[in-house]
Amino acid sequence: MKGRSVKLREAHRGSGAASLCSVVWGPDGSRVATASAADASVSVHDLVAHPPRPPAAIRHHRDGVTALALALGPICGSLASGSIDHSVKLYSFPEGEFQSNITRFTLPIRSLAFNRSGSLLAAAGDDDGIKLIATIDNTISKVLKGHRGSVTSLSFDPKNEFLASMDSSGTVVYWELSSGKPLHTLKAVAPNTDSDNSISNVLSWRPDGEMLAVPGLRNDVVMYDRDTGEKLFTLKGDHERSVCALCWSPNGKYLATSGLDKQVLIWDVELRQDIERQKFDERISCLAWKPNGNALAVIDVMGKFGIWEPVVPPSMKSPIDGAPSLQGRHTNGSLLFDDEDEKPSTSGSLDDVIDESHGESAPTSHKRLRKRSAVYATDHSNGDSEGEDDLLHQIESRKRNSTKCKESAGKGKEECVISGKLRSTRMQEAFQPGSTPSQHGKRRFLSYNMLGCITTLENEGYSHVEVDFHDTGSGPRVPSMTDYFGFTMASLNENGSVFANPCKGEKNMSTLMYRPFSSWANNSEWSMRFEGEEVKAVALGTGWVAAVTSLNFLRIFTEGGLQRHILSVTGPVVTAAGFRDLLAVVTHASDCLPSGDQMLKVKVFNISKGTQSVNCRLPLTPCSSLTWFGFSEEGRLSSYDSKGVLRVFCDQFGGSWLPLFSSIKARKSEDESHWVVGLNSSKLFCIVCKSPDTYPSVMPKPLLTILDLSSPLASSDLGAADLENEFIISNLHLSQMQKKIEEMVASGQDTTGLDDEAFSTEAAIDRCILRLIASCCNGDKLVRATELVKLLSLEKSVKGAIKLVTALKLPMLAERFSNILEERMFSESKGPRGIPSVDSNATVAKNVPPIKASLTSETIKIEPSGSKPPLTLPAAHFSKQERSKESKDGSATMPLKAIPKVSKDHERKIEEKAKKEGDTDILKITNRGATKEGNDRVELKDRSETCSSNGSDHRESNRPANPFAKSSTNQGKLSLLDSIKKMKKADHEKDEKANNKKPRV
Amino acid sequence: MAGQSDPHISIFSAPEVEFLAEDEVVEIVPNIRMESLNMICGDFGPFFPQIPSKVPLWLAAALKKRGKCTIRTPEWMTVERLTQVLEAERESPREFQPLPFHYVEISRLLFDHARDDIPDIYMVRSLIEDIRDVRFHKVETGLETISGRTHAVKLKNLSAMEVNIVRPFMVRALQAFYKHDSPQMIQQADTMGSKRSQGADRGPRRDLRPR
Repeated sequence: MKGRSVKLREAHRGSGAASLCSVVWGPDGSRVATASAADASVSVHDLVAHPPRPPAAIRHHRDGVTALALALGPICGSLASGSIDHSVKLYSFPEGEFQSNITRFTLPIRSLAFNRSGSLLAAAGDDDGIKLIATIDNTISKVLKGHRGSVTSLSFDPKNEFLASMDSSGTVVYWELSSGKPLHTLKAVAPNTDSDNSISNVLSWRPDGEMLAVPGLRNDVVMYDRDTGEKLFTLKGDHERSVCALCWSPNGKYLATSGLDKQVLIWDVELRQDIERQKFDERISCLAWKPNGNALAVIDVMGKFGIWEPVVPPSMKSPIDGAPSLQGRHTNGSLLFDDEDEKPSTSGSLDDVIDESHGESAPTSHKRLRKRSAVYATDHSNGDSEGEDDLLHQIESRKRNSTKCKESAGKGKEECVISGKLRSTRMQEAFQPGSTPSQHGKRRFLSYNMLGCITTLENEGYSHVEVDFHDTGSGPRVPSMTDYFGFTMASLNENGSVFANPCKGEKNMSTLMYRPFSSWANNSEWSMRFEGEEVKAVALGTGWVAAVTSLNFLRIFTEGGLQRHILSVTGPVVTAAGFRDLLAVVTHASDCLPSGDQMLKVKVFNISKGTQSVNCRLPLTPCSSLTWFGFSEEGRLSSYDSKGVLRVFCDQFGGSWLPLFSSIKARKSEDESHWVVGLNSSKLFCIVCKSPDTYPSVMPKPLLTILDLSSPLASSDLGAADLENEFIISNLHLSQMQKKIEEMVASGQDTTGLDDEAFSTEAAIDRCILRLIASCCNGDKLVRATELVKLLSLEKSVKGAIKLVTALKLPMLAERFSNILEERMFSESKGPRGIPSVDSNATVAKNVPPIKASLTSETIKIEPSGSKPPLTLPAAHFSKQERSKESKDGSATMPLKAIPKVSKDHERKIEEKAKKEGDTDILKITNRGATKEGNDRVELKDRSETCSSNGSDHRESNRPANPFAKSSTNQGKLSLLDSIKKMKKADHEKDEKANNKKPRV
Repeated sequence: MAGQSDPHISIFSAPEVEFLAEDEVVEIVPNIRMESLNMICGDFGPFFPQIPSKVPLWLAAALKKRGKCTIRTPEWMTVERLTQVLEAERESPREFQPLPFHYVEISRLLFDHARDDIPDIYMVRSLIEDIRDVRFHKVETGLETISGRTHAVKLKNLSAMEVNIVRPFMVRALQAFYKHDSPQMIQQADTMGSKRSQGADRGPRRDLRPR
């Protein structure tokens, strides 16, 4: 079975020439440290960070780093690095804080190794002699002399009795640790690598200490016995050139080897056969197995590193299954264990591990309890450990992770799932929307939005910050800036930019800086400093700047720098975004769930009004984190998570988040991901990134891609997913618009433009519904078709639907539709009171029979405006209905006196619009329909007059002007139906083309 | 010039072919916001900064000159693709690789107007020149092989510039073939020998005229 090829990404920029690189895993498998002989920095890559973070660079060496070793020390992990600059330095891990210079040599270091407990460090290089250093006080306990050439690899026997070393001429020496004497010397058993510093001879003890693996002279790997130093067997196979790196799996069952032929082979040592292989572009310089998973970290000689996961086919025994301990340490790609204070735990059972971690502090009873519940009730034991010191807690949680891994060991796929879960068990850190992680020596985005971007390039001691607008035609030109603060957060809008840097020790306090792009006053940029407080997120809007700090303060400043408000937010901030007057702040609501779900909360403040409009939870896909947060171009709150789901906040159902885009559905190939920049009501703007990158780089300039929003619809039996999607999206759009109109009406603003827009959206929805009706009819879903008809907002569309079903030869449906239309006209004639709302959740109102009382009251009220020609009245009612739909959702509280004027205006507007934009066919229909309706009304009026002359209804004489008055009686109903049918027939030839073609398109 | 009516040299000059090529569509990335442009040949735009849109080459060049856009290098104009094409061209001496009909002109226009937008411009340029030379050479050798035994030459995927170069030759060559293949000619040649060829020439020429 061939695995997928491993993607490598650059960790160290080399000189272009091959150089020795090293990689080691952190003890919990979440971090990897890499180093290159061509680069003076050590990088710590956090593999599980959300969002992906750039590697933390540790820069203390003055020259290339040739060796790395990792140990779990008494307080926390420690990382040792050896360099060409002759020094060995110790850092805390994973923080990467410099601890001490362990030792100095007179020549470059080539190899480092910790023993299992981390108490002893062996260091060697081109110097004569291997130094054994006690890490507790950095004293040299022994110097082992005997090698001729430079020592390229060291490996402590896991049982802590021996040290094996190897020099570049291929000689292996077994040293006895207690005496410091060489036991066995195997001369020239491995290839001679003297000529090339980028190749190092390596050797490694099997984790159980029973054998030592050494590259052989015949492109093979030779195993030597622990005690006698005799050759046991060789692994010979497909390496075409000699082996240059090797690494045992944590359980010692597998061996990974890398050859000069640029391939990496995985061997099953018991079968003495290679089971997996992978070819790379460059020679792999160093390998490291993940201590708690089926993964292998590789780094090539050009400084590119990658994770091969899963290495061992899921069908085979997991490489961690039966590992002696999960506390394995890697040094230069080799695993080292020791069992100083414990007998070797051959079973590798978790009980032992947990005992170990609690041996000192936990009472015996607890211990036993834990022992029993170790595997299945780890949470419980975790609870027990509460109150114990941090270290234990830390160890415990790591144990818990390993427990999960153990449970799934051997079930490769499941393991991936679980490791996916493990990744999010941390609360996500604060981020700025539209920023990319920093990469050493590369420019990166501090902020990227639809308007422009802020980029920074870190130099020695200062950064170079540039602000660019996408629209070079209209955006202001902003001079670039030299930044001595080291800004890592920024936000940009059309008026200005705000920057902030985190706190870096006492000297470099957290600073917030605002730069307006244009101001009438000179020197109007300002900055604030925070003592004992750190800015975590910034945002800006019109006339305000906001910063959320580590003390959970939301600080709001005016554009001029006045400290306006200081609020407390309810949790650690995740991010913040601003849009005009609105500020949205996302905070953690609580620690994340054991399943890895982040618990986030969002609040939206209106800065100018001083109100809080939204306060709710922020939903995320399970096991994901927030990666982008902001406002759409219309000001709708939107979020995007690491699983690629975009959500938009809307007012439906009292304010809820709707999933409107899924990256997984939209992507063209599996390695694509979408990096969101912004969105408007129907489109998403994003940058498409190809794996392994998940974010864009500054050069070349990233291109925006436009994608359609789409709801995650279930695959329906209709087979018209596009239409259904359009239906939902445009309904959402319409409801937003109606809300806006409502707001504007409430504040007494002119809504003409929006009305027009709403009307054309309604028309578009109707068009979409008609098509859906057509596909429903074709799919024989008649009930659904009827429901859809009820959702049509324009009367003409209903008529169109009737024609459609007639053409489709569904007379039964046509009849139903006519009934619906009829009911509709009743309710229209009833006036605004009891108007059926066309909203999806309020169709019931249509079935309410007209009430005579309401009719009379209405007629009486309308009578005073009788000067109006009767012809337009029904139409006025109709538009009134639309209008109230838009503005009041059928609540019908608008004073009736206002009706004629408003509705008249509205109708005129519609007609004007129809004339203006006569080319959109639905409007054409509206226009034609309007005149047609006029004719109908004349007809209806005639009828009503004849009816009233019959004297069937006394009230008739009171309101001859209203043709729909008749509808209250049975007779009227009939006549109305007749008239509709007649009209239909008359219009049939004329409109058939337009109306029937349309829905079928 | 093609506009002139001398039929024997009915060849387009290079600028003329280039002019025709300017209607090819390329992708640009505007750096300004602009309403759509309504041209005789169609509507282009609207343009939004950083969002690619497709326009004809002439418009792209005009916008580029004003610093309002960057031109995206066509997919076939990458070093990778061109290397493949060049290799394939060299490998198959009788076939032409599919390239855009106006590849010579498009690349030339892009080199002239958008040199800063093309990554590895020198490499791309030399690759295209190589490809062009290989193909021209192929056209020439292909036509040379036409003899009594070879009646056909594979000219699929021939580009505009290449067609243009061989056009006058082809026209005259075909005409000559026609002349020599005419039955009278063969017959006369058989019966009367070569001395009478002068007189025999007139026959077919007269036949041609009504055309």
